[in-house]
Amino acid sequence: MRSRKTPWLSVALWSLLSFVTLFPIYWMFVISMKAPVELFSTPDILLRSLDWSNYVEVLESPTLRGYMVNSLVISSGNAVLVTALGFLACYALTRYDLPGKESIFFWTITNRMAPPAVFLLPLFLLLTQVYRIGDFSLLDTRIGMILVYCTFNLPFAIWTLRPTLDAIPKELDEAALVDGASAWRVIWDVILPLARPGLAVTLILTWVFAWNEYLLAATLTNFTARTLTTGLSEYVTTTGTAWGIMAAISVFTLIPALIVFSLVQRHIVTGLTFGAVKG
Amino acid sequence: MATVQIRGVTKRYGGVQVMHGVDVDIEDGEFVVLVGPSGYGKSTLLRMIAGLEEVSGGTISIGGRVVNDMLPKERDIAMVFQSYALYPHKTVAQNMGFPLLMQKRPKAEIEEKVRKAAEILDLTKYLDRYPRQLSGGQRQRVAMGRAIVRDPQVFLFDEPLSNLDAKLRVSMRVEIKELHQRLRTTTVYVTHDQIEAMTMAHKIVVMRDGRVEQIGRPLDLYDRPANLFVAGFIGSPAMNFLEGRLATRDGRRVVETADGTALPLEGAAAEDGRRVTYGIRPEHISVGEGGIPVKVSVFEPTGSETLIFGRLGGQLIDALVRDRIEGEPGQTLPFRIDPRRAHLFDTATGVRL
Repeated sequence: MRSRKTPWLSVALWSLLSFVTLFPIYWMFVISMKAPVELFSTPDILLRSLDWSNYVEVLESPTLRGYMVNSLVISSGNAVLVTALGFLACYALTRYDLPGKESIFFWTITNRMAPPAVFLLPLFLLLTQVYRIGDFSLLDTRIGMILVYCTFNLPFAIWTLRPTLDAIPKELDEAALVDGASAWRVIWDVILPLARPGLAVTLILTWVFAWNEYLLAATLTNFTARTLTTGLSEYVTTTGTAWGIMAAISVFTLIPALIVFSLVQRHIVTGLTFGAVKG
Repeated sequence: MATVQIRGVTKRYGGVQVMHGVDVDIEDGEFVVLVGPSGYGKSTLLRMIAGLEEVSGGTISIGGRVVNDMLPKERDIAMVFQSYALYPHKTVAQNMGFPLLMQKRPKAEIEEKVRKAAEILDLTKYLDRYPRQLSGGQRQRVAMGRAIVRDPQVFLFDEPLSNLDAKLRVSMRVEIKELHQRLRTTTVYVTHDQIEAMTMAHKIVVMRDGRVEQIGRPLDLYDRPANLFVAGFIGSPAMNFLEGRLATRDGRRVVETADGTALPLEGAAAEDGRRVTYGIRPEHISVGEGGIPVKVSVFEPTGSETLIFGRLGGQLIDALVRDRIEGEPGQTLPFRIDPRRAHLFDTATGVRL
């Protein structure tokens, strides 16, 4: 029998990759824990003292708190909306014989092929001119940004969810229909639980996209619906850059992403459909 | 329990017609098997009975009600799928109780019925397991359990044993038959395996290309197949077909093959000279004195019987005999054909004469 040797090369490679990935986060945290004077005196990558003043300033700022709430509402609202719509669209595309469904499927993703900047003007016109009732327009509103992100996230959700729904045997739908379920009960009781891993992946990826997005948020919001990513840029001024506060805001942007990921990661398991059909 | 009437049923996919006016009457409590090679419309017909496929023309009635436009759940049927179609995220008990849950039955009633079905199917100790934790045979029994808990008017089985190995298939065949004898529920069963059809059915419907070729009791189909297709499909090993012309020799009717061999007949009504196909089952040929000399190419001893393959005037012929015959390929053996067991078909139309 071959003895199990420690795979040193793999360990070294993974250690290096982990270091490359995690070091910027560590450095960001170090910067956020330093006062401005300390930051510019002696460059030091070690955390020698804990100075929470940057975090206090961020938390005490009603503006930044508002940006954080906006980011949370817009990202979560968009992720839930596109995941739900993407799921239903995929269900129809995989279950029904729709004429030209392959074309529909392909053209949905073309939205992601062009750079987002291409969509800026049309989206601006849509928000300010087309979807306008009296004085009310969708520009600089949370609902407006949720809908704007649908342009990019919905095709992504459909493409991400299709393999999941394709992998669920259609006999399960038929068995449930024969067992007395309505079309909605089939989706709710059978398809939805089995699609959970795919839904979780879609939810988190679309959430992260909306959470991190800068260009559209910077252009289509002023103050009311401004998000944390755009808030960061307010600390780069002509008189200087507030690195400590920016690092603290960045840490704040990281925390919700970690929480969301930890909440849904347990659902990201494969093989749930094993045993549904022969095997 | 209920009768099922299928009247002039047609099915079209776009411009392609795949079913051409099928008529089948299924009596109350009857076990009917739809049989035929794969892709010949039997599963489509079953799915139309279930309401999973639309009926393009004709009517399907269950218990006297035309169900063409009814949803599957309104038809009071239960179906067992080829792939089992168990819900992988539900336990065995939840799978079996699902139809009752959909009917909003009280929890206690669901538990009681699931327990009883599990007892019948010997699944009691597996009720808390998930489908992935069961063997193929156990999964198939769960699928049957899900069907029987709701006590439907009609059971529909779509090739339920085709995913099981040969040994398990035989035991499950017996279980399904016993289950039917116990419940007496009208059953429509689809298979491409003619042995399953012969051993399980009260009545067999042989289908080809979306048409019914013959309906009858298993032994009627075996003894009097209506055409070449049914004759070749029913029976294992398959019937021998030898082409020739009707003739009269020494005052006796025979079929004369191209090489002049006279195949014995009993009472053929057609005229001499007509091109016919002579059918004889391998088990109705014996080896003995006075037989037709056949050059043997292969011997297949199975222990209980021997299958002998040979050529008669260039045409393939095989005999299934109970005796242990050992020989060498190339030797000639006398094949004795029982003329009372011979079948005669018109070569051009394939219809029985």
